[in-house]
Amino acid sequence: MTGPASALRYLWVHSTWNRLRTQIKRVRNPRYAIAMAMGLLYFYWILVYNPRASSENGVNPFANLMNSGFALPLASGLLFFALARWWLFKGDKSALAFSPAEVQFLFPAPISRRGLVHAKLLRSQVAILINIVIWSVLLRGNAASAHGWQRAIALWLLFSTLSLHRLGAAIVRTNALEHERAGQRRSFLPAAIFVLMLSAVAYGVISQWPAIMVATEVGTKAVLQAVADSLSQPIAAWALWPVRALLRPVFAQDASTWLRLLPFSALVGALHYLWVLRLDASFEEAALEATQMRAELVKNVRTAGGVRKRSTKGKISRIPKLSALGRPEVAITWKNVAAAMRGTAWRAQTIVFLVGLMAFAIFTSTQSEKMADVFMAMSAGWGVMLLLFGPMGMRFDLRQDLPRLALLKAYPLSGARIVAAEIAGVTILHTISIWVLMVVPVTLFITNPSSFDDALQLPVILGAIALVIPAINALMFTLHNGAALLFPSWVRLGTEQRGFEAMGQSLLTMLATTLAAAVALVFPIGIAVLTLWLGSTLLGPGRILVAALLGASLLFAELWPVIFWLGSVFDKTEVTDVSTAQ
Amino acid sequence: MVPAAEGKFLRRPGRHYHHTDASPCLPSPCSVIEVERYNKLYGDFAAVQDLSFVVNPGDVLGLVGPNGAGKTTTLRALAGILQPTSGTIRICGLDIATKSVEAKSRLAFIPDEPQLFDYLTVSEHLQFITRLYSVKDAAARIGPLLEELELTAKKDSLPTELSRGMKQKLAIACGLLHQPNVLLLDEPLTGLDPVGIRRMKETITGRARAGTAIVLSSHLLHLVEELCTRLLVIRKGRAVAFGTLDDIFATHPELAGQPLEEVFLALTGDGAPTAP
Repeated sequence: MTGPASALRYLWVHSTWNRLRTQIKRVRNPRYAIAMAMGLLYFYWILVYNPRASSENGVNPFANLMNSGFALPLASGLLFFALARWWLFKGDKSALAFSPAEVQFLFPAPISRRGLVHAKLLRSQVAILINIVIWSVLLRGNAASAHGWQRAIALWLLFSTLSLHRLGAAIVRTNALEHERAGQRRSFLPAAIFVLMLSAVAYGVISQWPAIMVATEVGTKAVLQAVADSLSQPIAAWALWPVRALLRPVFAQDASTWLRLLPFSALVGALHYLWVLRLDASFEEAALEATQMRAELVKNVRTAGGVRKRSTKGKISRIPKLSALGRPEVAITWKNVAAAMRGTAWRAQTIVFLVGLMAFAIFTSTQSEKMADVFMAMSAGWGVMLLLFGPMGMRFDLRQDLPRLALLKAYPLSGARIVAAEIAGVTILHTISIWVLMVVPVTLFITNPSSFDDALQLPVILGAIALVIPAINALMFTLHNGAALLFPSWVRLGTEQRGFEAMGQSLLTMLATTLAAAVALVFPIGIAVLTLWLGSTLLGPGRILVAALLGASLLFAELWPVIFWLGSVFDKTEVTDVSTAQ
Repeated sequence: MVPAAEGKFLRRPGRHYHHTDASPCLPSPCSVIEVERYNKLYGDFAAVQDLSFVVNPGDVLGLVGPNGAGKTTTLRALAGILQPTSGTIRICGLDIATKSVEAKSRLAFIPDEPQLFDYLTVSEHLQFITRLYSVKDAAARIGPLLEELELTAKKDSLPTELSRGMKQKLAIACGLLHQPNVLLLDEPLTGLDPVGIRRMKETITGRARAGTAIVLSSHLLHLVEELCTRLLVIRKGRAVAFGTLDDIFATHPELAGQPLEEVFLALTGDGAPTAP
């Protein structure tokens, strides 16, 4: 092993070990000890006990889903569109990010950029390996499937290739940004290939549009099958082949199929590896800036959370005005709203989302009633996903600010007010994001009122949903912020998004917060159901609104003491608790 | 009070307050910072032990000591960021532990590493502070403050577009906007160019002249000698000297006439005495 390589190995082995040791030491604290015990119980339930308990005929629900005929084509289509985000938008530049200490020590050190890329790839393997363990356990139990270790290898190839793709896309995008025309020329070929593939997939869906239309008359499952069939048409299938080649061994039903499919998956992985190395070489050749300049770029990308805060014309996103006087904690909420609007292009995405949903709703309503129903069901499903997963991605709250705890604690505000203000900002923004989905039923109603059985109930139902969403969002963000505040040593802080390699961890986090949320929702749902039942004769359709209002109010009432308690935790949290953790 | 340019405060005679050694000192009716038997433990490690001192309006207290002596812990405790293990800290008569919000509204803490928000411009940072501290006449203050700190041309810039020195100036501007009674500065000149250093010195002495009590932690002994009216030397979490240089010479006659650097080394070196 060469000098730099052994130095890097030493750095990460010892850093990982010391970090792990520090985190385990925290268990001496009763709060962490209780959390550890609950965490172990949770992992036992979710990874060991639950898949068996919920399995039918020895086949667990995840495996059942994978065995359905449409799972593979749909998964490859979804994965392809997820990858498209890195190319069509600004790319996931956090894939390139190094820590400030790494920038300080590694960039001026005699290590080639290729060495740094290798280092980055090796480092991502830790998250990938954890992810493989989680998914291997979740997907086990399929009696007809390949062995666990075979699926683990297939998953390793899948996530490693996705990690390579993310890194490659980030290099191409950064290269284009750094070297302008020269960089854009270099990024043309991969971008053109991707656009070609995207067009092929779109062609596949459009060519099968009549069949999809017919399927809408049958039901959701038929629509999914029709879409899957359209993605299996020759041109679309050809475009999706690399993605499908990676997924197939994961879906393999037996050892011989797995063995037959694995070389193709390995080929895609190997091609990605060579591509990233070649990109790196061209990056080296083209680089005009000194190492320090490059380090500064990476550092800026890191501090910017991967998003440029100014447009190419140098304009900065406008944010709401903050009045000089009023409740001081509003300043913290305003600051977080500004960070989200400038850090994620939230406003632009929301407007595009709103217009897109309206346009698609108009389009589906002109096609067929069933299709409009399917689209509405999909929008509702998307809304539920946003409620559950959204708070993990929208991190402009205490998860962003805890590394600056000393600054927050110097403000003339009580801990409870700071915690409430931190949660309020993201709750408001995320609520607006989900409210936008309600444009679908509204548009469908305006374009075709006769498709709704009881037109009078629609505003009542939408009003009820509008009331409930902020309360549920507040609950979810309180859970995430509470976890960050109570366990800063164990919870990831900062606003950076994670790649596919952490999908398993994200899924487990989402399930844990959903379980906690379910407990908190018992009484609010109970009172809402009771109101619906008791008010059926007295209140008419208005009982839905009353039930939603009471449920949401009770949920906020539950959160009130929790916020005060978290405020006292904030007051007692030492700066060193966070600084040593990060 | 005399501006820094006119002479070295620490050596000016007649700046005696209520003590002549490092023993606990009695607060006067006008004391803005009162620290009484302050202790801070991290587990078994005592970061600060039995620290007592007062700072009056217009005073510039130089907090000096070797690395790990407890300076930052003391400053953070004064800012209400760290809770004392025992002892009391009062800001303008308000106990920082029990009346923390009221006390914090009267002080500003400017850390050595400027802590700024990536997504707010320079002027938006000041709007943020205006609301946070309920500054009533902010509009009239912001312009002159930006001018004083040479930030006017950068008012629409984001922190990532500022140099290290500019970031430091912005952090200082945020600290000064609400005109605090107490200003806590941790290495305030880090990253500033010579012109910036001179402006900053003028700013510090100007605020002291206006009656602000200032605590300045720095390893730059010439800066401490030039700006500070009194000195608090800490070693291993304990005060080993407190007062003007004349006060210190009175309790340590063997150091009389020595330059501050020699005094510092003698008080904080391995053979130095611990707190009397």
